[in-house]
Amino acid sequence: MLLPADRDAPDCIVDLTDVRFAWDGVSASAVVDIRSLRIARGERLFLRGPSGSGKSTLLSLLAGVAVAQSGTVRVLRQDLAALSGAARDRFRADHVGFIFQMFNLIPYLTVIENVMLPCGFSERRRANAQQSGGSVRDEALRLLNHLDMAQSSLLRRPVTALSVGQQQRVAAARALIGAPELIIADEPTSALDADRRQAFIELLFQECTREDATLVFVSHDAALASLFDRTLEFAQVNLAANGAAA
Amino acid sequence: MIVRLAIKSLRNRKFTASLTAVSIALSVMLLLGVERIRQESREGFASTVSGTDLIVGARASPVHLLLFSVFRIGNATNNLRWESYQALAGRPEVAWTIPIALGDSHRGYRVLGTTHAYFDHFRFSRGRSLEFAQGMRFSDAHDAVLGADVAQALGYRVGQSIVIAHGAGDVSFALHEQQPFRVSGVLVRTGTPVDRTVHVPLEGLDAIHAPEADASVEDPLAAALRGREREDSAAPARPITAFLVGLKSRGAALAMQRLVNEYPAEPLTAILPGATLQEVWEIVGIAERALLAVSVLVVVVGLAGMLVALLTSLSERRREMAILRSVGARPVQVFGLLLGEAAFLTLTGIGIGVLALYIVLVTAQSWLAARFGLYLGLSWPSVYEAGLVLLIGLAGVLIGLVPAYRIYRYSLADGMTVRI
Repeated sequence: MLLPADRDAPDCIVDLTDVRFAWDGVSASAVVDIRSLRIARGERLFLRGPSGSGKSTLLSLLAGVAVAQSGTVRVLRQDLAALSGAARDRFRADHVGFIFQMFNLIPYLTVIENVMLPCGFSERRRANAQQSGGSVRDEALRLLNHLDMAQSSLLRRPVTALSVGQQQRVAAARALIGAPELIIADEPTSALDADRRQAFIELLFQECTREDATLVFVSHDAALASLFDRTLEFAQVNLAANGAAA
Repeated sequence: MIVRLAIKSLRNRKFTASLTAVSIALSVMLLLGVERIRQESREGFASTVSGTDLIVGARASPVHLLLFSVFRIGNATNNLRWESYQALAGRPEVAWTIPIALGDSHRGYRVLGTTHAYFDHFRFSRGRSLEFAQGMRFSDAHDAVLGADVAQALGYRVGQSIVIAHGAGDVSFALHEQQPFRVSGVLVRTGTPVDRTVHVPLEGLDAIHAPEADASVEDPLAAALRGREREDSAAPARPITAFLVGLKSRGAALAMQRLVNEYPAEPLTAILPGATLQEVWEIVGIAERALLAVSVLVVVVGLAGMLVALLTSLSERRREMAILRSVGARPVQVFGLLLGEAAFLTLTGIGIGVLALYIVLVTAQSWLAARFGLYLGLSWPSVYEAGLVLLIGLAGVLIGLVPAYRIYRYSLADGMTVRI
């Protein structure tokens, strides 16, 4: 396990200090209680923990969907609590890409439209995508091509007819489009079989490197840890989880 | 962005969405249709008599007298004597009179015996007088002037011969075959029962009803009927059913009405058409209001159907909302997505409903007119109708607030975690 990045580094993408969060607002029943968590730019962090350990809540805090009752959550040096709800939503649209466990795609949109979706909500990512690919559509195609998903037979298919692995790759392309600084993947491989799992992660690494994105990868599957720069046992980071687990 | 998503999402749920829109469309069509029929029938009724101050007939209920004399609905129970007519028509306050003799028919259309006064004085739709599309008035006792619908439906032209039957039914056994009438003119369409009337001179009716006409008996049943008729009409030399009166001064109407109602020689009834029409509305009003209430309820059911469809879609769409939230959609936008769908469904429903109503109006217009005497004009929606439509639209959007608010609460609570 590598040491956390230098505390004073300006390139700290995520910086949590004394963060406590309880869904009902009472800190005695906190599901997240983190003294300190830092993630450096370009890092590929593996956050391992069993389900129910508060991982999803932590991701909600990083995304600004939930706001901690105490402590500070800084993403890209921005204190999320200082932003209004709408501004947090914009911040997330601009800077964070998500990949969920499964059912990532909007069923009534095409593959391309699903990939282009974040550019409809973020000016910044649209501009980035246009700069990189010429047009948002071309950039979506480029990313899909990198993820081996650009065959016209696949693009024409309704997203619900794609295999889970294909869906996850489309979701990865959507998370990456417009070059957000932070990619958060929440159990993205748990629906894939073992050999597909590693291939997907490697593709994801490759694209994160290309896009200069920081990756936070959450999973309960310790077998994947060896692929990452750094692994954090969530139970050790989250003080609340110890109590809950015991 | 949200609008495009809403449209694509609806397209994905084509079947339920179109069912919802169609149910709203049908309810809108029903409501507007009922309203249209209500207004047009009132207007049609009101425009049928214009400029007539009094209608006089044998003693009868005022509503009944109005209905059969002007609207050709129902049959006269009694005739009035020619002498009474002449005495009343000759009074100094009377400017003109139009005698009317009903009781015969031609292939289902009523035959109305009258005089030239009919073409001179009859007015409809705020003072319009009758005009000829073809030909001219009667110049002979056996001439006939056809209403526009009669000529069109039966394909008659000026110069053709027609045979009049006794009684008002579609099929009559007693034909006045030996004395055919010649079509001398066809009237311009009026949008009133005049269009469905065959006009003949009173002299013509006298002739076919005269005993001599029985000289050649061709059918025992017809002969029997004619025999009875002769007995009936024995008393008045020339029976007329009613007459319309125009006064020199409208102020004399009430006095004249009293005079007729107290006429010593014969029990008569005089009505003021406007006042009696008001009575008709009072009778019809209850049914109208019930019909309106039902069609309003149907609209409510249509909108409730949309509410149910949207609410049931919510649970499966929570995941979709979580994805949208993760790519940066604000809860307000998620709210707008649902509200937009409700608004879109309502507006589409209204659009289809209004369109369908007009299509039905165009196709059913002549049928309604022929069958029920209901003239539905193809006018633009009135301010009142536009108001109704606006109200429905508003109600649809208000109803959309319910699922929109629920998904808004969900997306605040769920954030991006998808609860299945």
